[in-house]
Amino acid sequence: MSETRTLLTDTADRLFTDLAAHPDAPFAEVWPSIAEAGFESLLLGEDEGGFGGDWGDLFAVARLAGSHALAAPVGEAAVAAWALTRAGLTPAEGLATIAPAVDGCVENGRFTGSLKATPWGGAAQTVVATHAGSLLRLQTTDCRIESGHSPVGEPRDTLTFEGAVAEAAPSDIDLLACGAFLRTAQIAGALDAALAASIAYANERVQFGKPISKFQTVQQTLAIFAIEAAAVNSAGQAAARAADAGVADFEFAAAKLRANIAAGQGAALAHQVHGAIGFTQEHPLHRLTRRLAGWRSEFGSDRFWAQRLGRRVAGLGPDGLWPELARRSDAA
Amino acid sequence: MQTFDAHPFDPPDGVPTLRREVRDFIAREAPKSDAASRANCWAVCDADFSKAMGKAGYIGMTWPVEYGGHARHPLHRYVVLEELLAAGAPVGMHWIADRQSGPLLLRYGTEEQRRTHLPSIAAGETYVCIGMSEPGAGSDLASIRTQGVRDGDGWRISGQKVWTTNAHNAQLMIALVRTVEGSQRNEGLTQFLIPLDTPGVTVRPIIDLVGGHDFNEVFLDDVHVPDSARVGPEGNGWKQVTAELSLERSGPERYLSSYAALVELIRFAGPDPEPVLAVLIGRLTAELWTLRQMSQSTAAKLAAGEDPALEAAIVKDLGNSFEQELPRAIQAALDGAEDLSAATDLTRVLALLLQVSPSFSLRGGTREILRGIIARGLGLR
Ligand SMILES: Cc1cc2nc3c(=O)[nH]c(=O)nc-3n(C[C@H](O)[C@H](O)[C@H](O)COP(=O)(O)OP(=O)(O)OC[C@H]3O[C@@H](n4cnc5c(N)ncnc54)[C@H](O)[C@@H]3O)c2cc1C
Repeated sequence: MSETRTLLTDTADRLFTDLAAHPDAPFAEVWPSIAEAGFESLLLGEDEGGFGGDWGDLFAVARLAGSHALAAPVGEAAVAAWALTRAGLTPAEGLATIAPAVDGCVENGRFTGSLKATPWGGAAQTVVATHAGSLLRLQTTDCRIESGHSPVGEPRDTLTFEGAVAEAAPSDIDLLACGAFLRTAQIAGALDAALAASIAYANERVQFGKPISKFQTVQQTLAIFAIEAAAVNSAGQAAARAADAGVADFEFAAAKLRANIAAGQGAALAHQVHGAIGFTQEHPLHRLTRRLAGWRSEFGSDRFWAQRLGRRVAGLGPDGLWPELARRSDAA
Repeated sequence: MQTFDAHPFDPPDGVPTLRREVRDFIAREAPKSDAASRANCWAVCDADFSKAMGKAGYIGMTWPVEYGGHARHPLHRYVVLEELLAAGAPVGMHWIADRQSGPLLLRYGTEEQRRTHLPSIAAGETYVCIGMSEPGAGSDLASIRTQGVRDGDGWRISGQKVWTTNAHNAQLMIALVRTVEGSQRNEGLTQFLIPLDTPGVTVRPIIDLVGGHDFNEVFLDDVHVPDSARVGPEGNGWKQVTAELSLERSGPERYLSSYAALVELIRFAGPDPEPVLAVLIGRLTAELWTLRQMSQSTAAKLAAGEDPALEAAIVKDLGNSFEQELPRAIQAALDGAEDLSAATDLTRVLALLLQVSPSFSLRGGTREILRGIIARGLGLR
C-alpha cells in the first residue's frame, strides 16, 4: 500500500496546506476542491470507482487533515461512502456525513427522531447513521436542521426527522467507532502539528538572554508532549492495521481513549510553551487546540470508551486479557 | 513531523504455536506463586527456572548456534519475553546476561570470550551483572573513577561499583573502567569482563526498602585480570555502554512490571464490574495496549537494523510512568474497606508495587535523563 500512500498523502498535504492558508473561506468554496480530489471515495474499491485505499490510508489522510486544522468532514465523507457501499445502499448524493448518535425509531421504512451533533449535518445532503443493527441512509431535504457548533465553530448540527423515508439495511458497521477512529487520526495530526509549532517557538523565543528551549524545564515539558503525541500516533496506526486485518472494535475503542487522554494534556502543554501570544486570535495555535478540545468529547468521551472497554475486559476474566491482546495482534 | 512512525511488528510465521509452547512451558516449570511474586518478575531470581529456560532454548534465542544460541528471529524472542513477563515468571537470574551482556560479547567480545561464556549463559547457568554506577557516578556515568592500569600483559583494577543488581548470584561482572589516567569524561573508558571470584573482589549486599536483597556494592581492590578480559578496544567503553543501554530501554519489561496488579484488579472487579472499576480497567487497558504497540514497533525497528534511540527513550519513560501510575490508580479506586493491611492477592500486590515502583524510573536511566534524550531528539539541545 505504501507507494500509493505516498502519492495520496502528498496530494492531501498539498491541498490541505493551500486550504489552511484561507481558514475563513466559506465551506461552499472549500468542499469542491476536496471532492474533486476524490477523498470521499478513498475506501471504495477501484471497481467501485474509488481509490482502493485501506484504513491505513484513511488514517494518513485524516491525520493530515488534523495537522492542518482542516475545517471539512473529509473522513466523515469517506466513511459514509464506504458504509453505504458495504451495506448495499444507494450511494450518496452530494456531500455525505455520519451521525454519532441516533435517537428515534424506524417504522415501515420511515424514520422519526433526531441525529445529534452531526458534523456538517446541515451542509450534507446524505446522512448515514447506525441504528439497531442497521445502517440508515437519510436525506437532509427531509429534516429540520438546528445548527450547533464545536468549540472552534465547526458545524455540529441536530437533524430532526418526522416520518422521513429511510433506506435501511442490516449491518454490523459501528459508525460511532468509525468516527472515533477518525478523531483519533485528527488528534494525532493536531498534536504533532502543535508540538512542531511549540518546538519552533521555543527555539526562537528569547527570555533571560537565551532561547527558552535551553531551559531544562521547557525541554522536559516538550518531551512529555512528544511522548503523548507519539502514543496517539502509534495507537492510531495500530488501530488502522487491525481494521485492515479484520474486526477492530477493541482497537478503535482503545485508540480513541488514549487519544482523548493525550488531547487534553497536549493542548495544555502547547499553550504553556507559547505563553500569551498563543492565547491570541491572530496566532494560529488555537485552530489546533480548540479543535483538540472538541474532538476529545466527540464520538465517545473518555468515560464512554473506558466503560465499554472495561466491561469487555472484565468479561474476559483475570487470565483472559493477555491472551486476547496477543491473539488480536497475531491475527493482524 | 510525525512523532512516532509505526514499524509493523511482523515476525516470521509460527507465533501462535510459539506462544502455546511458552505458555505450556511456564505452566510446567514456573513455581506456583502468589500475585505479589509475579509482580516486577524480571527482578525475581530463580536459578532452577533459568536452567529450565536454557534447556527449552529460551535464552540466547537469537545468538548463533555455534555459541549455544538458537538462531531465532529477534521478534520471536520478543514474543517469548512478553509471554514470560505477562505470566509473571521469575526470569531475573539470567535477564541481564540474556538482554545485554550476551549481545555485547557477540558484538565486541573476542572469539575466546564468546566460546567461553555464551554457551553457559544460554544454558541458564552463567549469570552476569553490570558494573557501571559508582558512588559518585549515577546519571553522570561519564564521571566514573574506577581505574585500570596496565600491568605486564594484564591490568590492575581498583575502585567501587554500586547498585550492582545480582552481583551476589552472578559469576561475572562487566565493568566500565577508566583506563587512561586523568582522561576526561567519556574518553579513555574500557569494559572488562571480571569473574567475581577473582582475588580482590568483594561483594557486599545493599538491602532495599522492602528488605529485599537485589543489588550490591562491589569493591575492586587491585584486582588483576589478563588483557583477554578486556571487552572491545581500549577506549571504546563509552560507545559500547551506550549501545547496551539502548537495548535496555524499549523491551516489554518497561511497561509490564505492574501487570500482575491489573490482573488482580480484573479478578477483584468480577465479570460485571461497578462503573468506577470498569472505567479504570478500560483506561489501563487502553494505555497498556498502546504501550505494547510502541514497544513492538521499536523492537521491529531494532530487528530491521535501525537505531530507534529516541523511540526507545519514549517507550521507557511512558512505560515506567504507566507502571508507577497503575498501582496508585487502583489504590485510589478501592473502597475504604480494602486497606493495604488486608491479606488479599490484590492488596498484597498493590502494597508491594506501591513501595518498589519508585525504582522503575531510576533503573536503566532516570526519567529526567530520558526526557533529556528525548529533548535532544526533538532538536532542543
Ligand atoms: C533497582 C535498581 C537497580 C539498579 N541496577 C544497576 C546495575 O545493575 N548496575 C548499575 O551499574 N547500576 C544500577 N542501578 C543504578 C542506576 O543506573 C542509577 O540509580 C541511575 O543511573 C541514577 O543514578 P543515581 O541513583 O546516582 O541518581 P542521581 O544521578 O544522583 O540522580 C538523582 C536525581 O537527580 C536527577 N538528575 C541527575 N542529573 C540530572 C540532570 N542533569 N538533569 C536533571 N536531573 C538530574 C535524577 O534524574 C534523579 O531524579 C540500579 C538502580 C536501581 C534503582
